[in-house]
Amino acid sequence: MILTRWINLRLGAIVLAAVLLQVTFFSYLLIFGVSPDFVVVVVSVIGLLGGAVIGAVTGFAAGLLLDVALLETLGVSSLVLLSVGYLAGRYRESFEIDSVFAPAAVTGALALLASAGFTTLQLTLDVDTSVSGSVVTDSIVKGLLAFLLAYPMYPLIRRALRPALVLEGAPARQSTRTAPASRMRRSVAGGVR
Amino acid sequence: MLVGLIVGSLILLSAHFSEAESGPLHVIQRATATVLSPLETVANAALKPVRDLIDWFDETWEARGENEDLKEELAEVRTRLAEAETANAENEDLRGLLDLDKDELAPYGFEPVTARVITRTPSLVNATVGVNAGSADGVEVDDAVVAADGLVGRVTQVTSTSAQVQLITDPRNGVSVAVAVPDGPQGIVSATAGDPEELTLEIFSNDDEVSDDQYVVTAGWADPATELSSAYPPNIAVGAITESSSSEFDFQQVTVDPFVNFQELTHVQILTGGPERPGIDE
Repeated sequence: MILTRWINLRLGAIVLAAVLLQVTFFSYLLIFGVSPDFVVVVVSVIGLLGGAVIGAVTGFAAGLLLDVALLETLGVSSLVLLSVGYLAGRYRESFEIDSVFAPAAVTGALALLASAGFTTLQLTLDVDTSVSGSVVTDSIVKGLLAFLLAYPMYPLIRRALRPALVLEGAPARQSTRTAPASRMRRSVAGGVR
Repeated sequence: MLVGLIVGSLILLSAHFSEAESGPLHVIQRATATVLSPLETVANAALKPVRDLIDWFDETWEARGENEDLKEELAEVRTRLAEAETANAENEDLRGLLDLDKDELAPYGFEPVTARVITRTPSLVNATVGVNAGSADGVEVDDAVVAADGLVGRVTQVTSTSAQVQLITDPRNGVSVAVAVPDGPQGIVSATAGDPEELTLEIFSNDDEVSDDQYVVTAGWADPATELSSAYPPNIAVGAITESSSSEFDFQQVTVDPFVNFQELTHVQILTGGPERPGIDE
């Protein structure tokens, strides 16, 4: 991903919108008793599009904003979400993504891991209580919901970041580069004639 | 870069967790949350119609099976209403004798501040909501929060324009309660991580019998000798006992179904001020 000031602004706007949507909309929804983790989906998709470093930085920023907005312990969400962004980015750097199924599956798996990570960190930090077994099933449902949410979110965020994507931008640059070259070849050929 | 971010997160986490409420990280967090609060209020209001539409579908689906249950519940509530009206008449007479304000809905001496729920955490463990009232409205940490149906929780963080409310379904929150019968047994009600639907009440004694459908209210105790007191005023409805069982130990564990539907919480009242409580108003 080629980062310009304009793309950084877009990334910032996407993260801010994702956090606001999470705390004011998605956290209110109960689907099979569980709220979808929208921020995890957005961070994962950005990691899948931008690579490990961009994914990790976006995850850190989104986590920090989430903890500030909810007045929760700073660093918990950052740690989990930067891992999500990094792992999604590593997947993109290691494998070719040729359909929307792969990003959705990766996002679903990462949401499951993120839910387990959040739960473990929160229980380790300041909750001295017994844990219900439904935490496991709830984490699986969160993973499934993230899988479904990734289907519309991946093309949507890819569209928003299209000018910065190396693979998406390559054909356009190639055509601008080849056009003068082909014209030159034609003119050279004409001169010989 | 990655190592730097991980180390940064861990430093933030340990520093924020160990520092006092007045520490620099908390101050910066509250200042930033104050800036975000108007955005959250606008986003919350803008998305409310969509949430309502989804809720409508959800409730219509659920209502099909609830009709019979509600008829049985209505019959039971009528019986309870008759009992409550008798008690209310007696209460009004006593209040008249003591010259108290009859129109005050909040517990005596408390100033209720009405606030809208604007944010909610997506966590499976922690159960907190954000409300659009803060220190500028007189809200302070440890103020009790109620809704029309009963106890919601208590204030745990305050900015000038917003506050964080820890719900009673948050496992970090333990509430001193009493079973609502004369000289009812007292105990602590708390939630299990990952199961916000039910609360567990641990009663300190195994001698007092409790039964299903008995109500549980806040105990609101205060002990000037130890300078300790409950954060909650007395006699706020918490829930109804749904499963009681005797135990071979010195305490009983019973299940309590909270009265408040936390998923549909849109407005709350924060009980500010109130009489001095040892260990709280300092």
